[in-house]
Amino acid sequence: MSRSFTTDKPGLQTCVQELPGRIGFLEQGFPLSGPFDAWSFRQANILVGNDRDTAALECQFAGPTLTLETDALVAVTGADMRPKIDGEPVPMWTTLPIRAGQTLALGPAMRGARSYIAISGGIATDPVLGSRAVFHQAGVGGHALTAGQSVPLGTPTTDVTLSQVPEAARPVISSDKRWQVEALAGPNDDWLTPETVETFFSADWAIQAKSSRTGVRLTGPEFAFSARATDKNPDHGQDPSNIIDHGYPMGAVNLAGQTPIILVNDSPSTGGFINPFTVASAAFWKLAQARPGEVLNFRRIDRDEAGRLRAHLDAMTRPEVLERV
Amino acid sequence: MSLQTIEAPLPGILYHKPSPDAEPFKTPGDAVAVGDTLALIEVMKSFMPVEAELAGTFKGYSAADGESIEPGAPVCEIEQA
Repeated sequence: MSRSFTTDKPGLQTCVQELPGRIGFLEQGFPLSGPFDAWSFRQANILVGNDRDTAALECQFAGPTLTLETDALVAVTGADMRPKIDGEPVPMWTTLPIRAGQTLALGPAMRGARSYIAISGGIATDPVLGSRAVFHQAGVGGHALTAGQSVPLGTPTTDVTLSQVPEAARPVISSDKRWQVEALAGPNDDWLTPETVETFFSADWAIQAKSSRTGVRLTGPEFAFSARATDKNPDHGQDPSNIIDHGYPMGAVNLAGQTPIILVNDSPSTGGFINPFTVASAAFWKLAQARPGEVLNFRRIDRDEAGRLRAHLDAMTRPEVLERV
Repeated sequence: MSLQTIEAPLPGILYHKPSPDAEPFKTPGDAVAVGDTLALIEVMKSFMPVEAELAGTFKGYSAADGESIEPGAPVCEIEQA
C-alpha cells in the first residue's frame, strides 16, 4: 500500500502549501507563498495529528476529488466546499478516518473561497529552495494538481484522537459579504493627503475578480496625493504613486495609479509604487476567504494590536483548542 | 424534449462573451453540442469555461453578462435534444 493519493479531479488551482513558506529568497524574486488562510490550514493539520505547519492542500473556489491509496486521517477546514467521502456528506473541522480506495470530493465554495485538506503524515513532495509551498504561476515547488497526478504522503504519527475544532476557535467566515480587515497606516501614508488616509479607513472597497494569491485588487474612491508625491525628485517617476524602487512588505496596500492592490503570499517583493497602508498578517485569512464582489472595510490598528491579533491566531491554532468527538 | 438548467460550477463573475467586443457564445435558438462553451466565469484572473454536458437548443441566459454569480445558480437553459 503506497502512501499517496491520486487526483481524480484537480479543482481550480489546488496547490500544496506549507509553513513558513519559502524563506530567504525574496531578494531573488521568490515570494514566500504558503497557505493564504494560515488559521484554517493549521487547524486542518492539528486535526490529523500533524505538526501544524506540515504540507497540506489549499483548494481555491472549486475543490478537488482525491482517491486515497492508503488508510489515513483527513480533515477539511476553511471555506464550505461540502466535502463528501464516497458520496456521503462528512463534517468539516473534524478528524475523518478514510480507508485506502475511498474518495474525498470537495465541491464549489458555498461560503468563503479557500478550503484546506490535511492528510495524516502530510504531503511529501520534494522541497524546492527549502519549502514544499507551491508558487503556481512560476512553477516553483511544483504546480497546481492535475488530473491523474499521484501525490506522495509522509509517515503519520500514531495515537491520534478523533477531534473537532470547536466553533468558537474557528475563523468566522463572513455571511453578509462584508469583512472588517485590520490594517496599519504606512510605510508611505505621508504620500497621500490626510483626508485620503481617513477615507481609506472609512470607505467600502470591493474585491475585483482579478484578485488572486498574488494580489487582491480593490475598487473604491479616488486617492488624493500630498506634496510629497506630486512635488518630488523626478527620479521617483512620473505618476504620483511612483517611488524609487523599494522593498514591499507582505500585506502592503500597493497603489499603482489609482488601483490599490494588497500584496499577499505570492506577490512581488520590490517595485516602484508606494505602499500607503499595510494589512496585519493576522488578517490575511480574511483576504483569503473574501470572494469577488465582497466588500472590505479597513479598521486602523497600531503595531501593538497587530501583535495581539497575531498572538490570538497563534493560540487558536494549537492542539489544545481541539475537543474530542 | 426537456428544459435543462445549467448551473454555475463555481463562484465568480459571469460573462456571456469570450471578450467584451465579441458576440455572445450562444443566442436563443442556437444548437448546442456536448463540450460547447456556453459562458465564462472569472475568478483569480482566470476565465473558467462553462461547458455543455448535453446537446440541444439554447434557450437563453439566466443571469446577466458581468454579474456576480454563486455556485449552483442558473447560468442558462437548454432544451435537451
